[in-house]
Amino acid sequence: MNDRIAVIVEHESGRIAPATFEALQCAIEIRRITSSEIICLTVGEKVDELCADVSELSGMPAMGVVIPELHTYNGEAFLRAIIFAAGIVDAGWVCVAGTTQGLDLGPGLAARLGIPCVSAVERVYEKDSKPVFVKKLFNGKVTGEFCIGNHGVVISQPGCFTWEKISTPACRGVDKIRFEPGLLRTRVLGTSLAEPADSGLAEAAVIISAGRGIKRRENLELVSKVAGLFPNSSIAGSRPLCDDGWLPYRLQVGQTGALVAPELYVACGISGAQQHLVGMRGSKFVVAINSDPLAPIFNQADIGIVEDAESFLTDFLRLAMKSDDVAQP
Amino acid sequence: MKILVCVKHSFPTDRSVIIDPSGQWVLDCADGATPQLGRYDELAVEQALTIKDQNPGATVDAITAGSLNKSAILRRAMGMGADSGIHVLTSADVFTSAVRTASLLVSVVRLRSYDLILTGAMSDDLSQGLVGPMLAGKLDIPYITSCVRLNVDSKRSVVVAERDIEGGRRQIVELDLPALASIQACDKKPRYPSLSNIIRAQNQIIETIQAACIDESESGETLLGLTYTPKSGSVNFLTGTCGDKAKELASILRKRAFLR
Repeated sequence: MNDRIAVIVEHESGRIAPATFEALQCAIEIRRITSSEIICLTVGEKVDELCADVSELSGMPAMGVVIPELHTYNGEAFLRAIIFAAGIVDAGWVCVAGTTQGLDLGPGLAARLGIPCVSAVERVYEKDSKPVFVKKLFNGKVTGEFCIGNHGVVISQPGCFTWEKISTPACRGVDKIRFEPGLLRTRVLGTSLAEPADSGLAEAAVIISAGRGIKRRENLELVSKVAGLFPNSSIAGSRPLCDDGWLPYRLQVGQTGALVAPELYVACGISGAQQHLVGMRGSKFVVAINSDPLAPIFNQADIGIVEDAESFLTDFLRLAMKSDDVAQP
Repeated sequence: MKILVCVKHSFPTDRSVIIDPSGQWVLDCADGATPQLGRYDELAVEQALTIKDQNPGATVDAITAGSLNKSAILRRAMGMGADSGIHVLTSADVFTSAVRTASLLVSVVRLRSYDLILTGAMSDDLSQGLVGPMLAGKLDIPYITSCVRLNVDSKRSVVVAERDIEGGRRQIVELDLPALASIQACDKKPRYPSLSNIIRAQNQIIETIQAACIDESESGETLLGLTYTPKSGSVNFLTGTCGDKAKELASILRKRAFLR
């Protein structure tokens, strides 16, 4: 018998995280090659409804691993519970979503299970009856293909697997086991908002976003002035800029920041790390300005401008303010 | 308190990448240039040194796995203030799976009973963030990833740390020592190496361990090949001088009614 594929169901406040279905789709693509069975594993205090929901929506069997009094994600408790459940269901593959939880859990799980781990997987295809995992390296400039044999932890890159809804949802059976994790060395004390999320960013029609390529903190003023040209606009920034303290975290666009979908997104000096692209992928029209013609941000852009961001924005600001100049092409 | 910080040389994200003729890895970016500390690794070194400053008697060791010239990044960490460097010497710069790197490190680390192990949240070239939690998994110690704040309470032998999660939120956790944290952000900017530390580092011997002498378990991960990522999407690159492009963009944005 083939080893099963366990999909870890991510959930919060009684709801299944949408990224779970991306991990599930990744599992389905592995199944096409290995013919393994898929089982959805849900770890938590209350799992009944989650298990029923995920089984119905996916058409796959589900198993709940109940940890009494576990109110929220605790990496160590999850790790122990999944190792326990993986043994019971005979899982050779574990698929997790590339969320902060999946990225926290996946590699530790692989190390404890003694199997390889491949992260940021964008695509799966078959070669010699084994799955090959395709992912980007070197900030997206290079694509690598990896084989991890007949078992492993697979972390799906957010936004890369589109869940194919099943036509006739039906619950395929739910099992439940209870797990006592024992004495934990990790205690969750709570959750805080780094800074209140900026609702202005979610509502802005135009976002002018800055990255390290603007080079000097003073150039944020230039970015602000460009934003000022557009009604209902906001400035934002990439993670490194916020880490450097140039912008508050509430203005960070990316996986751990705001997910935005404005009408117009102008990326100034942003190279386009995967974590940033996750946050702005929904933008309707994208202009990218970067001095590196190979920067991956250009793959997401409608208009590409290979220039130093500071010089370009200076020119653009001057021209856009003198509307007469631009009226005649 | 014994602290270990795991570092790796950086591959600047704005540099062009050249796949080597075998198609199995990229040409060593560090050839001819001094290898640089990874961006997040530098933060991890700063975090380790901040803890050292606050805990008299604490020591900080830096470790890296890589080819001969990569010892330069250990000198850098020592220049910043790390007490010593450990170099797990590998023969060449080829693709190394995270499992293999974690195995190389664990064989050295296991014998030395560190209280706290820090790594960068991810490397600049692969951006995976796998080695830290894998190392913790292999050592069976608690860990935190994407750590943005970390405080050691040496009396209680715990760390209280925060990790970034979705939606601009942070999860606050307490871990018993020994523990591992992968560092995403640090309250302080990485310090510059001091002259006295640089001189001390230059005269110090870096402990070198041959990777070949270590019993490596089969990593199970094979790189089949690398290709340049094809341009996707349908980007329209504007041409001409900087001014021409600015003019054209303004015109495009007017046509689309973004600009008045």
